Parts: sequence; C-alpha cells; structure tokens
Amino acid sequence: MAKTAGNDADRWEAQLRKGCLEMAILASLWKRRLYGLEILRTLEQSSSLGLAEGTLYVILNRLKAEGLVHSEWVDSGSGHPRKYYWIAAPGKDRLRSMARFWVVFCTDLDGLLAPVLDRKELDRAHR
Amino acid sequence: MPTDSEIAVVNQYLARLEKAFGHVPSAERDELVEEVRGHVLERIEAAPHVTEQVVNEILRAVGDPRELAAQHKTEAMLRQAVASRSPWTLLRSTLRWAGTGVVGVISLLVTMTGYGCAAVCYLSVFLKPLFPARIGLWLRPEHTLTLGYWDGRFSGTEVYGISVRPPVSFVLGTLGPTQGPVRELLGPWLFPVGVVCGGLFVVVTTLLTRWLIRRFGLQRRSRSRPPEPTTDPVAVSRFPARF
Repeated sequence: MAKTAGNDADRWEAQLRKGCLEMAILASLWKRRLYGLEILRTLEQSSSLGLAEGTLYVILNRLKAEGLVHSEWVDSGSGHPRKYYWIAAPGKDRLRSMARFWVVFCTDLDGLLAPVLDRKELDRAHR
Repeated sequence: MPTDSEIAVVNQYLARLEKAFGHVPSAERDELVEEVRGHVLERIEAAPHVTEQVVNEILRAVGDPRELAAQHKTEAMLRQAVASRSPWTLLRSTLRWAGTGVVGVISLLVTMTGYGCAAVCYLSVFLKPLFPARIGLWLRPEHTLTLGYWDGRFSGTEVYGISVRPPVSFVLGTLGPTQGPVRELLGPWLFPVGVVCGGLFVVVTTLLTRWLIRRFGLQRRSRSRPPEPTTDPVAVSRFPARF
C-alpha cells in the first residue's frame, strides 16, 4: 500500500515537472541567447526539473516549429558549432501569460497548503 | 582526450539516432543529430578523465535514440496533422499518437469512427447503382435505422453499415440478425443524402481530430524523466544526478 502511494507521488511529481518544462525553457531564454547545454545548466541551477538531456532538443525543435523561439548555428571555435536559441515575440507573450497564471496559482495553493506543513518543513521547502 | 574506441561509441550512438529518425526530412534530421553530437562532445570535453564508462554515462543521460526519435516523430506528425485536411494524414497521426497513451487511443477511436461513417456514406452512394435492391437506408422492425448493405434474406436478416437504434445504440457494422420486414426509405434520394452526410462526417471528424491534437496532443508531449542513478564517481562529479 505504502509502495503504491509512493509511486503515485512520484507520478504526480513527474507530471508536474513535465507540465512546467516548456515554461522553464522559455524563461531560461528570457534575457539571453543560450545553446542547448547552457539551457540545461540554467535549468539545473535554478529549478528542480528533471529532464532527459536529449528531450531538451525535441522540445526546442517544437518551440521553434511553433514560432516561440528562433535559432542560429554559431561556430564556437571548439571544433563543433553550437545552435543558439533566443525567445521570439510570440514566445514572450506565451511566457508572460504562463507566468501570470503560475503566480496566481501558486499564491492560492500556498494559502491552502500553509496549515499542512509546520514551520520547519516550510523553511526547509523554501530553501 | 577521447580514444578511438570512445569516439567509435559516440559515432555508433549517433548512427543509431540517425537511423531511428528514419523518414524525418534529411535537413531536420541532420540538424538534430548535429546538435546532439555537439552536446555529447562538449560533455566529454568537460570530463576530467574520459573513459568508455564515462562516455556511456553521457550517452545514457542524453537518452535512448529510439525513444528520442519516436518522441520527435510523433510531435512532428501531430504538428503536420494540425495543419492538415487530409483524413489519411490525420488517421496516421492519431494511430501513432495512440501508441503513447489513453488520450491518443480515444482520439484514434473518434477519428476512425468519424471517417468510417463517411466511408459508409460514400460507399453506399457508389454501390447503389451496382446493387440497387441491396443498398439503402433500411428500417428494421425494432426501429433500427441502418444506412448500408442488406443481405436480402427475409429471416435472420442482417444489414451492414451505420446503424442507429433509439435511444442509445450506435454501431458501425451490424447490430445482428432480426426477423420481420425490412423497408428501404430513401430510394434515389440516397445519392444526395449520402454525399451530404459523408461530407459532414469528414468535415466534423477533421475539425474534431485537429482540435483533440491541438488540445491534448501537442501541449503535453514533452517528456520529463529523472535519469538513472549513475555509479561512476567521475561521472557523478561531472554530471549532476538530476541531469
């Protein structure tokens, strides 16, 4: 029974992460151009999103096909070119609307979840 | 600096990736493979001690070539389908989508049923001149209405096509044999009615399938997966567990 509950929690976490990937990738490109590995490192440093590395390129390809990002090959001088991505105007619009929804969503849920965790757990979660 | 055998491992991986992409347009395929190649090489360059095990860890973190290609092909096909009016393209796309989850299976059933009904309407129109006494809109004793082919028997009679029996029965095929008189309702009106109904089924199914793909297919295809834990201490130090 406990194992099933654990699996359900894992599945829920995976779904939640999956739903946030597009937003996180667009957000990483908000201020600057990045290539794939830099995007991965940015996500690693500033989020707890789990991502199979190759999947990033499939998502970037889709975002590009949808006109949300642009890309350009740049010679890196290290023997292999890098494909840099930057956010397009429709991508900025999409990200803004995602961010607006996200902030309201989190604020509402925070209030609802406040009694669930004690002070120590809350501090730990925020760290 | 990677040795020849480590470079061979990378090349084998890229060759498998390229092969897995199959019918993806060559320019798109080459670009994706090149991007993954650059990613892998940069990971290798960042490793302090390159061993075959480290290279394998890096490739494992990038993902299984077949899974990556399948993910890309499904996405590309769904993107193409959203802009397409071709029933064939939409059917192929939903068939591929059906392999990835319940929503895809439901969409495939919806699409097959819709286009199946359209096919019955058009087949009835085309076959009516060849079998004028067997093709029609048939009313059976239990108030079952069927558009399609009647087997011509008077006992244990069966009609194949689209059947509706109020209040809820709907069958694409046959509802099973019945006893009693079977009456044809449309006569020559079957031609315009069949063409209009067939057209309506095609249009509604196309719009509905495209909506399903846009709503449930394209937005939810990104796959998030924590990688398998790595045991190599060098790889652990270079490649954080989350990636």
